[in-house]
Amino acid sequence: MITFEAVSFAYPTASGAESGSAVLRDVEVEVPAGEFLLVAGASGSGKSTLLRAVNGLVPHATGGRFSGTVTTFGRTTRDHPPRSLADVVGFVHQDPEAQFVVDHVEGDLAFVLENLGHGRDAMRRRVEEVLDALDIAHLRHRSPATLSGGERQRCAIAGALAAAPSALVLDEPTSQLDPQGAEDVLGAIARLNADLGTTIVLAEHRLDRAAPPADRAIRIVEGRIVDSGHAGHVLATYDGAPAVTRLGRLLGWMPPPLTVKEARRHAASQVDPPSATMLTAARASAPGDPLVTARGLRVELDARPVLHDVDVDVRAGEVVALLGRNGAGKTTLLRSLAGLQRADRGSITVAGRAAYVPQDPNSLLFAPTVRREIEHTLRLLGRSDPPAVDAWLTALHLEAVADRHPRSLSGGERQRVAIAAVAVGGAEVLLLDEPTRGMDAPSRTALQHAVERHAANGGAVVLATHDIELAARCATRAVVLGDGDVVAEGEARHVLTGSLFAPQVLRVLPPFLTVEEVAAALDRSRR
Amino acid sequence: MNLSLARPTAVYALVVAVGAGAFLYPFWLPREALPAEAHAGDAPLVAALVGALAVAAVALEVRRGTMNGATVALLGVLGASAGLLRLLDLPGGGSGMFFLVVLAGAAFGARFGLLLGLVAMATSAVVTGGIGPWLPFQMLALSWMGAGAGATGRLTRRLRPLPELTVLAAYAWVWGFVYGAIMNLWFWPFAIGEGDISWSPGIGLAETLHRYWSFYVLTSFGWDAAGALANAVLVVATGRAVLPALRRFASRLDPVVEVVEQPRREPAQNRV
Amino acid sequence: MRPTSTATLTAPTATGDRARARTATPALVWLSWALAAAAAVQLATNPLYVTLVVAIAALVVQSHANRGPLGSAFPVLIVAGIAFAGIRLVLTAATTHGTGDVLFTAPEATLPRILGGFTVGGTVEAPVVARAAAEGWAIVGIIAAFAAFNAVVSHHELVQAAPRAFYELGLAVTVALAFVPSTIAAIAAVREADRARTGGHVVRRGRLMRQVVPVLESGMERAVSLAESMDSRGFGRRSTAGEAASGWLGLGALLLLGGCFVALVARARSTALVMALVGGAALVAAVVVSSRASTRTRYRPRRLSAREWVLAAVPWITPTMLAVIGGAAADTLRWPGDVLAVPAVALSPVIALAALAVTPLTARSA
Repeated sequence: MITFEAVSFAYPTASGAESGSAVLRDVEVEVPAGEFLLVAGASGSGKSTLLRAVNGLVPHATGGRFSGTVTTFGRTTRDHPPRSLADVVGFVHQDPEAQFVVDHVEGDLAFVLENLGHGRDAMRRRVEEVLDALDIAHLRHRSPATLSGGERQRCAIAGALAAAPSALVLDEPTSQLDPQGAEDVLGAIARLNADLGTTIVLAEHRLDRAAPPADRAIRIVEGRIVDSGHAGHVLATYDGAPAVTRLGRLLGWMPPPLTVKEARRHAASQVDPPSATMLTAARASAPGDPLVTARGLRVELDARPVLHDVDVDVRAGEVVALLGRNGAGKTTLLRSLAGLQRADRGSITVAGRAAYVPQDPNSLLFAPTVRREIEHTLRLLGRSDPPAVDAWLTALHLEAVADRHPRSLSGGERQRVAIAAVAVGGAEVLLLDEPTRGMDAPSRTALQHAVERHAANGGAVVLATHDIELAARCATRAVVLGDGDVVAEGEARHVLTGSLFAPQVLRVLPPFLTVEEVAAALDRSRR
Repeated sequence: MNLSLARPTAVYALVVAVGAGAFLYPFWLPREALPAEAHAGDAPLVAALVGALAVAAVALEVRRGTMNGATVALLGVLGASAGLLRLLDLPGGGSGMFFLVVLAGAAFGARFGLLLGLVAMATSAVVTGGIGPWLPFQMLALSWMGAGAGATGRLTRRLRPLPELTVLAAYAWVWGFVYGAIMNLWFWPFAIGEGDISWSPGIGLAETLHRYWSFYVLTSFGWDAAGALANAVLVVATGRAVLPALRRFASRLDPVVEVVEQPRREPAQNRV
Repeated sequence: MRPTSTATLTAPTATGDRARARTATPALVWLSWALAAAAAVQLATNPLYVTLVVAIAALVVQSHANRGPLGSAFPVLIVAGIAFAGIRLVLTAATTHGTGDVLFTAPEATLPRILGGFTVGGTVEAPVVARAAAEGWAIVGIIAAFAAFNAVVSHHELVQAAPRAFYELGLAVTVALAFVPSTIAAIAAVREADRARTGGHVVRRGRLMRQVVPVLESGMERAVSLAESMDSRGFGRRSTAGEAASGWLGLGALLLLGGCFVALVARARSTALVMALVGGAALVAAVVVSSRASTRTRYRPRRLSAREWVLAAVPWITPTMLAVIGGAAADTLRWPGDVLAVPAVALSPVIALAALAVTPLTARSA
């Protein structure tokens, strides 16, 4: 059992975090043994701090001012630093590249056992058990650098589990993963809870997958727990909830559904379904002049063909969603359009400029404040245009953090800063590569608005993404890549409707794609 | 000084003394100390052995004190960068990574600087395939550079950025030469076997100095001067952003925890 | 002096390597071989003997090179060594003037007194060149021995094999090695992001800052995450019982080594030798005590089997025999540098050197 009693915490002032303001305020939580607890909240709300307080990383590894008591399975974190709690609590964070100590999966699994001083036979047995529990026995001799993100995270979970702890704390374990990897990881976590009875405390943004297996959810806002209970109820009022949950709230379904299956049951018994005939094509109708034209693109990387004979058209005013599995060639296509990757065959014509925003915003950020980061791009291009800087700060809802150090921001905020820093250069075509990876709901909304605004102003945006909900909300056209070829292409509604990439609302209430469309239809029918 | 600090201080001081003594052997080793058949080329290998023992001694002593995950992880990441920087160095030996060791030592303190010197040199030896008898002195020299940078950083912390960087750049410049001198001294007999500027035991201090100076001017003065200057420039050029960035993480190495007692409120009403 | 290698380190070890690595010859055996080979070269500097050692080193690399990038670095290191020897040759020949057959006379320059006052250039003499070439070749022999070691050994295993007393340092090196590929990837990503920012071309001004700072900061953030992972998994438990003891032993060892230097200056060779040996032993004891004090256990301890102990010991036959032969005043071991005479070769040193070939021929490869 994990208990939080009157816990308050503030980070130390000298570090890059906010100076001294309380991150956790008077938190009281009780997690019974064997429960699967979901922690929901926006970035910066204190989720990560809460999770790290369970095993003592807060305050022992971070420093800072701590009051209250956290008791984890009988031990208080005041008296026990994290290393003394390693046998009762395991911890996994979101970065798959920073969880391995030894270059060898099996050796890394044994790391915790070696630290705890177990005997050799006990260690061998535990390693075998945990390899089976996470279904990674075939990876035991691999080097972590050769594994995919999902495999790495599962090995990290195994590493945390090797000492047979009673609880597992996971801080956004799937945020850096593609959907397949995320599914594998969340499935493994759910199995651990169901089969082994491990207490799970999970913080996630990807609530559509993480919410269904949870026993209970708590919502944290600015360091305080504001709600607790059944996941559907807690999440119903949360922006970041799965689409079906928000839909359920809109249509008054009780209890709010967490999965498509539950939602369908409610929809089947819905007395007065919203009329689909009122669905107007709300998106920009007449596309403008062609901005990017690519014909017969063929790109080879490391002597392997990645794109075969791809044709792409992007016109002014369009938001094109580029969909496809990992490895289908989305990033390569974007980089080719931006001029960063030479095409082996084919032609690309760009009217104006195409600017590429990489997947990892950390590669761009170097300035001491957000504003200076954005201004710097203009300086590099030899221009000075303060109104443009402010315009982009406003468009991406970054005014509040304009004078903060970019590295003190959350992942979603950093991604927005990176987009602003590239977009301020005035390129007509913005090429965004997985912009919503690790973003919380407010960031995603801000991004959506900025994208729509840029398209409305005569530019175009190409979004390579796994986030179907985002594509459903703002894309006008969609292109699906499969193994280097264009598999489907056309109007967004059309492509999303006919494929496996269907958004949740579509599976429940066709032909609506998003909750907003349903809401608009209801509004119209009421008038 | 209390007793618990006495032993580590003595050990560090002795490591410097023994290490320095080992590579300064051209100046003090008398002819009679060597067995009859030995020739000049043997001395560097024996000195390398002594150097290795000194490295072992300092590695043992430095275990004392915090060795938490943050220390090891930071050493690892900086060691990896240093190892890669070495790939762009001049044959003088390791000068590509000096600026990083100096800046990191200044940001994190003398003990970290010492550790980083050892780890960075060991990592870069693996990366460049350079494990050999020269390694112990390279590790010692770089660890002294890092430790000194830590001590300097503690003093210059109060200064404004530009004066601080100037001091650190001067430190890096001086140490560029000192490092070169250490490695030169060590392999002097390897580099030149006989003649006016070679070493042979027993010719007296003044003559040895003269010959060494000649050898240094002829071979490494240019390299070392260029390397020292490059490193000083790099310290100034990158330090402005790198040093505060590094310092932001210093609190992780030695976290300061303040536990505040708050009176317990009557029944926990909002327990969820 | 030490040679550089241009090998890049991007490819991590592939599937299955670890399984095979368990039966491969341990790093300590190869280290022992390399040290014995280096000692052998020092004792027998006759160029033909050195050539034999270099050939055996090449044999080692040929049959046991690991699949990592350093496996193919052996030729590069040898070439670097030969280049170094060449420079040495030029230096020596240019600054040594004495008696001997003059090969040719180069233009000479006498440096001013302040820079040393010696003469560079001038007569280049045959015996000087020959001796310098021979000594340079001996250095190449030592380089070859260690280059073979670098090419053959798995560095992860070497770090793992370190005594527990150095565990944290070894772990830092392991972590550093693990971060090298991701640092390279980060550098590439940063460079591309910089290009992307300004539409496909890089602005040169301030490029250093824009590329160094993100790599370092991202690295530091990764380090913090890794540290959390390590702390959560129990890293850092340490008892202090044996530490004090090993600390004093280490101090004693250093004092003895210092005393050894003093004894050498005072020309008391036997005292110096005794102090050195006792000091060395004290340090070994310190390491052992510190290792025992650690509460960590090892998952798969790599105990050397009897066969491997033998493989590690056999190469030392060579320097021992050579020392004995040298002591009996056989003079083929060193070449006096008489240009016109081909170096003489005797049978017994060759047999001694052949012992070095036993290990590479019988060891199991990775």
